Amino acid sequence: MIKYIIIQLSDNAVSYCHYVATATAEPRTIPIEMLHKGITWAMKENATVQFVYPAHRLPDEYHAIIESIDHAKIVPARCDDEQLENVADVVVFDDYAAMEGYNFRSTAAYVLRTTRDELFKNHQAITGALGSVQRFNVVITDIDSFTDDDLATYAHILDSLADKVTEQYAAGNAMQFNLLTDRIMLDSMNNCNAGWETIALAPDGRFYPCPAFYLDGDEDYCLGDINSGIHIKNPQLYRLDHAPICRSCDAWQCRRCTWLNRRLTLDVNTPGRQQCVVAHTERNASRRLLARLKAAGQFPGKEIKEITYLDPFEIIKQ
Amino acid sequence: MKKIIGKVTEEEKREIQSLFERRNGLNELAKVLTADNAELYEKLVTDMGETGTRFQAWWDRMAQKYNWESADGGNWEINFTTCDIYLVTND
Amino acid sequence: MELLDNLNIKETDRGWQTGIAKSITFIVTKDCQLACKYCYLVGKNEKERMSWETAKAAIDYILDHERDEVFNTESVIFDFIGGEPFLEIELIDRICDYLKVEMFRRGHHWFNSYRFSFSTNGINYDSQQVQRFIKKNIEHLSIGITIDGTRRKHDLNRVWKHHAGEAERGSYDDVVRNIPLWLAQFPNGSTKVTISSADIPYICESVLHLYSLGIKEVNINCVFEDVWHEGDDVLLEQQLTQLADAIIDGGYYSEYVCSFFSENIGKPLDPVNDNQNWCGAGRMLSIDAAGNFYPCTRFAQYSLRSKRAWFIGNVRDGIDKNRLRPFLTLDRLTQSPQQCIDCEVASGCAWCQGENYDAADTPTVFQRATAICKMHKARVRANNYYWNKLFRKLELEGTRSEYEENKPTVKSETC
Repeated sequence: MIKYIIIQLSDNAVSYCHYVATATAEPRTIPIEMLHKGITWAMKENATVQFVYPAHRLPDEYHAIIESIDHAKIVPARCDDEQLENVADVVVFDDYAAMEGYNFRSTAAYVLRTTRDELFKNHQAITGALGSVQRFNVVITDIDSFTDDDLATYAHILDSLADKVTEQYAAGNAMQFNLLTDRIMLDSMNNCNAGWETIALAPDGRFYPCPAFYLDGDEDYCLGDINSGIHIKNPQLYRLDHAPICRSCDAWQCRRCTWLNRRLTLDVNTPGRQQCVVAHTERNASRRLLARLKAAGQFPGKEIKEITYLDPFEIIKQ
Repeated sequence: MKKIIGKVTEEEKREIQSLFERRNGLNELAKVLTADNAELYEKLVTDMGETGTRFQAWWDRMAQKYNWESADGGNWEINFTTCDIYLVTND
Repeated sequence: MELLDNLNIKETDRGWQTGIAKSITFIVTKDCQLACKYCYLVGKNEKERMSWETAKAAIDYILDHERDEVFNTESVIFDFIGGEPFLEIELIDRICDYLKVEMFRRGHHWFNSYRFSFSTNGINYDSQQVQRFIKKNIEHLSIGITIDGTRRKHDLNRVWKHHAGEAERGSYDDVVRNIPLWLAQFPNGSTKVTISSADIPYICESVLHLYSLGIKEVNINCVFEDVWHEGDDVLLEQQLTQLADAIIDGGYYSEYVCSFFSENIGKPLDPVNDNQNWCGAGRMLSIDAAGNFYPCTRFAQYSLRSKRAWFIGNVRDGIDKNRLRPFLTLDRLTQSPQQCIDCEVASGCAWCQGENYDAADTPTVFQRATAICKMHKARVRANNYYWNKLFRKLELEGTRSEYEENKPTVKSETC
């Protein structure tokens, strides 16, 4: 059942996830009547709305319509409308430079989109941010480039970031960091669930599992339009119980990105190896962090089991 | 006439089947390789000899182990599917 | 004492190394002399012929990766497919020679366990080149000739390629003349018969005709595509009931087999113990003229009506294992609709992963096509009739035990 709708306000709306929002010279802004219909649809379906903003300023008449419904705002860290940043629920950084000297607010969540190489080079910058926020997400934009040789480096970086998280918890700041604390706090899979619990309304007035499918121009994954409604073909394939690898997995913090699945394995319900091993590296780092936090009296009763694999596909094959 | 006179284990069957396959492979490779390819040809000839010896040794070993019935002018055969050993005679 | 070990190599070949052999298919040509009406290859053409360079590059890649999990099976079947594979007998001969030499030179473990497999229309089976090839590789060959049955049944679909306006010409005579030679070389040769809607009235006579030609094993199946009309299931049941009577009353059951009749079909399937996938796509490898790799030939573009080809790599870059993961994690329940999961006669109901993909509502291999449903149920009813009638007869004659000990078996069904 759809619980969330992401309304992408423009072709250039910021990416807050793995996909790249390619800047176009003449971006299409969602037509105002479609925006209106999208909001009405959300009200009727009791769906929570997230508006995804572009860096450029939207026409004034959009604001009143947007404010007609309770919602969350996802905005780029650098946008023409500086006021927007002050009321944003989620702020997205596309580079490390933008985080320098940034005035983080405790009421917002922050997303850093980074490549693997940048992360390996600049992870110290994340340490700084972790001391200033309540919620910080790191999204690796080129997960498919991870090799098995990178995993030890990634684990080492996560452990060093865990030092900062441990420090924050010791100081009484129970902040959230998606790569390390989500797995500790969760009791079951908590994934993106695009196409199952979340759907995107794109500027073309059509529904997609998420903005990435729209930006790819993948017609096979158009899920209907705002006038005729949602028509999801093979809806079961977006559900966890129809994902053979994921349903037996306990890397509960994994995004289980259907768009990455489609890109890497050609099927939306099957993750590529890279997504699995990266998520399990995070899971195992979370396990090590949990041990430290438990030693300090935090999370009593919580447990993350030791496992011997990084890719649950290996277990299924056996 | 053909009658079952014994049975070998799955592992024993695999051993002779592998030798049987190799012998067939070598025989058919011999139709392709010529003495021009001296190194490989030499290897083939050696292998054919060795495989033939190991092949014979398997039958000798098994016959001794299981004490199979034999007959003048008869043959032993193995069925790779069932692991059964047959005695085949001309009568 | 002379030692023979080749009791009956073709008997040994029944379902040769089932489950432990990797199947590697070379699509050597997309051309064929025939234009069979039910052929699933929608993109056949005369241009896409595999070059020696591509074939060699594929072989080198495969043999270079002997220890890779994709290629470390105990045995291998090198399969040659078209179009009509024997149109490219020169290339095939070169490929097979190279494979033999290279496997031996490298000490590759497949040298001890390989086969060359062909499914041919049989038209140029007696040509000098094909015969020379057969004699050279006879111990490692598995060749099936496709003949659909009686002349009228065969010629209904299996017609020569022709231009618009030209009269259709059936290929029965051109194939049947080669059957004796084929059976002399492969006494246990089996044939594969494909049934679509128009063929149903001829099933009984066709199977009996094939038996009369000396073919003791007839593998026959309904096409998976959605070609069935109202009432086809009733007709199929009638035909198979007639066939059951003919096989039992004529005493064929002790020596001949027809894959339509199997003791194991028509039972409910356990959701846990019987959850495996039917099809071997993903565990096979198919290579086309451009050097592209596919999980099975049915995923190459020339086999697909409405979907894009499912590439899993190519001879230059190797195999993209991520693209094999959906196939290697497929199970029956995940891809089946509820009607199939709950089906009381589910066992033996087959599917083709390629057709599932082609017919699916989205680009997925996880949506099972069900066009064959009513045909399977009709088959199950006739099958029940066959076994009930046969067993009763055997019991009345007191020959049930003898039959059980010596009954002919059918090769495991594969698509």
